[in-house]
Amino acid sequence: AANHRTGFYNDGVKHCASSVMGKDECKTMLDALNKVTACYRHLVIALGSTSDSQNLREELKKTRKKAQELAAANRTKLTALLKDKTISKDDRAEYERLWVLFSSSMELLEVDMKRSLEIGQDFPLKVPTRHLIQTGMTGSTTTVAARAMSVQNMKYEADGNIDTADLKDLQAEISQVGQMMEEMEMKVQVAPWAVEARQEAGAELKSNMSVGNSSVGVISICEEDPKDDEGGEREASFASFCAVIVFFVIVMVAAVLGYLVINMS
Amino acid sequence: SKEAGKKDNSTRYSLLASLSCSSTNTVVEMQNPSSGVKGAEQKLNVTTIPHVIAGETHTPIRVKVIKQEAQAFATMLVAYGYIYPLQNHKKLVMCNDASLYRFQTPYFWPTQKWVAEDTDYAIYLAKRNIRKKGMLEPYEQAHYNHLHEWLNHKWDFIVMQATEQYKVARERKKPDRVVFDCQERAYWIVNRPPRYTHSAMDYGPDRLIDPSADQVKGQYRHTHTHTHTHTEWRRLRILLEMVKYITNYKNHDPFLAPCLPSNPWQTESDAYWNLNTRRVDVPTKMRVERWSFSLFELLSDLRGRDDFKIFLKKEFSGENLAFWEAAEEMKWGTASSMSTKAEAIFKTFLAPGAPRWINIDGRTMGLTVKGLDHPHRYVLDAAQTHVFMLMKKDTFFRYLKSPVYKDIQKKALNPEPHNFSDSQVEQNARNRGMGIHPIILWQQEEEERAKAAIASAPVDVKAVMSKIDRKK
Repeated sequence: AANHRTGFYNDGVKHCASSVMGKDECKTMLDALNKVTACYRHLVIALGSTSDSQNLREELKKTRKKAQELAAANRTKLTALLKDKTISKDDRAEYERLWVLFSSSMELLEVDMKRSLEIGQDFPLKVPTRHLIQTGMTGSTTTVAARAMSVQNMKYEADGNIDTADLKDLQAEISQVGQMMEEMEMKVQVAPWAVEARQEAGAELKSNMSVGNSSVGVISICEEDPKDDEGGEREASFASFCAVIVFFVIVMVAAVLGYLVINMS
Repeated sequence: SKEAGKKDNSTRYSLLASLSCSSTNTVVEMQNPSSGVKGAEQKLNVTTIPHVIAGETHTPIRVKVIKQEAQAFATMLVAYGYIYPLQNHKKLVMCNDASLYRFQTPYFWPTQKWVAEDTDYAIYLAKRNIRKKGMLEPYEQAHYNHLHEWLNHKWDFIVMQATEQYKVARERKKPDRVVFDCQERAYWIVNRPPRYTHSAMDYGPDRLIDPSADQVKGQYRHTHTHTHTHTEWRRLRILLEMVKYITNYKNHDPFLAPCLPSNPWQTESDAYWNLNTRRVDVPTKMRVERWSFSLFELLSDLRGRDDFKIFLKKEFSGENLAFWEAAEEMKWGTASSMSTKAEAIFKTFLAPGAPRWINIDGRTMGLTVKGLDHPHRYVLDAAQTHVFMLMKKDTFFRYLKSPVYKDIQKKALNPEPHNFSDSQVEQNARNRGMGIHPIILWQQEEEERAKAAIASAPVDVKAVMSKIDRKK
């Protein structure tokens, strides 16, 4: 009987530990999926415009594959966690919240994949009569793709006809994603509307990046937003002014100390 | 039938399906370096952004087309979101001057297949919130609060995705960042237009555009914002009208107010029915009060219509009501009598110099006369509505103040409520008669109709003169 009891105790501890690890793992994977979804959307928006190119098509392909890998991994993990009947109510609520995050990401991804197929078909790169839309964007999207793939620099190794050849793969992948989502809905009984969000309205303002980036050259889009630009530039110039002052103070202190040292010796 | 005078603008909004092919092809053709529109560079502070077109350059498109049509077509492209303005980004019109525009990226083109989702809008608003450090515009703030309530279960995702998308956008070079922000903002102005923006993608019962308005006129006049949105004012008006309706009809509702003198089904006494017959001499007070609610009530109750006719005879303006009744007869009459009725009506009311000529505006008259060549049941609808409005706005109020109405109000009966015991109810049931036979009612109606026909027939001057001569 004693063995029986300790056996239960050990199991409970193991289960608790694995569930905590499972939650954190899930969260990291969801963050990664979130990042890739955002990057993919940004890349799809550039399709058909003047920043479209062979490289963009290759970036789309690679980002898409990465997204699918992450999606599959997330799905297995989350389904395993949610199918476990022995978890506590709080844990289950948390997993359901993660599930809603996952399914929302997948919805965005699916829509973007379908749209990239449509636009990709409408704007083949090699046809001279089909012109790209002059949207004003001329830069490359390689940094975005690098962010998605979590690499420093992107390597481009695709053939010249990637704009047409990739479309078939894309179609197959879209149907795959569709199937995966249907299976998900079937296997896991989660009511997405019953989930309570942790963040309140305006939570995005509290995240650390909004404070950090605003001082570095905020863009003024049109003549109607001069305030932002002024504010940004003022902040930027104030920061540089402070830096210059500090530099001079240090130089002066160093000069005084040097003079004293020379006088002493 | 009330819409007879208004244009049918529903086709404007259902153009999308047919547009998508032709417009996208045109926009792609505009990119042709040899035959399309030439772009220039826009200088913004320290950045230079290419591919800007001035409003005047829209004329090279569609050389076959005349200039005004080109302007209208270009405005349509802007209203749908294929091209967006850089200055005045809320006015979706192509101005024929040097104002600057840019082409929208295909992802943000209008399509029925990919509806602008609320989730995407929430992500965009969250991003804008970050960029504007919490200072969203009032209409954006209203949308934000609304979406926060309705998409609350997805809010974590929305915040995560918004912060991530914001970071991703910063990976690009500055000119591209500016263009990207402009594009996204233009897309959402088209799909979630602020007040006074005439976007072609605006649809649904909450849309800001009145499709019956003739032209997109007032957009340059209104520059101030209101505290209440358009929808809120409409809802307030509807509520006030409901309150007015309920106050008026409260005592007349058969479920809410007791029936005077008593409910025949309960007390077996048919006093109520006898007091409210079609041709009763003295109507009840409730009935007379009901006539004052609206012209529609007055005309629906035939006893009220008779009273109104007496008043109109005194005023010598009976032709409006006569025309209205003739139009009703045509609407409800047999199909075989349609052409004869149409002729009679034309001769009596519409022909120039007719004996009972009605005074309607030239356009409606023209339409009606043209329609009478091939008469159908509803050919007089426009004219009938016009005449109804004339009566409602003018004659009806005079009637309510007239001695005819005041007289009948004074004379009206106010029966005491009955208070029968059970045995009395049984007695009532036994004593109850058969009521008026329908054939007698029908005969009465025929007599009335004959009298009315004789009275309204055009006076034969010769006969009258000969009668006078004979009398002499």
